[in-house]
Amino acid sequence: MKIKAKLNGEETEIKLLLESPMAGKEEAATKKIEESYITHITAKVGSAVVWEASTGPFLSKDPYFMFKFKGAKAGDKIVIETIDNKGKTEKAEEAIK
Amino acid sequence: MQRRKFLSLGAAAAAVVTVLPSSLTATDFRTTAPKAWEAPTSKEAMEALFGSSVTTEGKIEIKAPKLAENGGAVPIGVKSSVALTTIAIFQDANPRSAVVVFEMGDNGVMDMMTKIKMRKTADVTIVAKGKDGKLYSAVQKVEVSIGGCGG
Repeated sequence: MKIKAKLNGEETEIKLLLESPMAGKEEAATKKIEESYITHITAKVGSAVVWEASTGPFLSKDPYFMFKFKGAKAGDKIVIETIDNKGKTEKAEEAIK
Repeated sequence: MQRRKFLSLGAAAAAVVTVLPSSLTATDFRTTAPKAWEAPTSKEAMEALFGSSVTTEGKIEIKAPKLAENGGAVPIGVKSSVALTTIAIFQDANPRSAVVVFEMGDNGVMDMMTKIKMRKTADVTIVAKGKDGKLYSAVQKVEVSIGGCGG
């Protein structure tokens, strides 16, 4: 997982790149791989959820997201948590610059 | 320390602009609206997720290429002039329509982007619920030269 977190004035811009084949039923069958895709992503600063996404296999492979929010300051940490269709979780954090 | 206490009390953050509100709770729409993820068309997925397919056009903007050479990663952006709580991306290019459902925090800025798979030319539809409770939508057709769904 790669996170870029940048403060522009009062807006924090997050660029998030995750690693997952995002393979659903049909794609897994064609490519003869297991179904594997991220199903939910949460972005938090402190205890506040600033953004979240319920996701499916029609997002691109290694999904990319850009989103923005207000109210954070430089040095605050953005924490990203993901879970996939098999229940595997990942967590990473990055300080806002 | 004061900030932490403030957050834990869940007090209205409107008074202090620099503090993030904690009112939003995590929602997994795959659990709360399972039918929406199985629906083959945007209209059915929309109804399963939002309970209606009656929407207002013009307030939200979809940013998508008219022609996508690589259907494996088609950039789709959403901007809005009204405050939104939930934003969903649907398309009619793949076996099922729902791609992603975003939930915005109270301090969310209505400007975001992601990349989706499309295995053929089709409409991409954004449906969003405003803080005012109304449903807004925007549609754009994306032509795909090389499909990217592997299915």
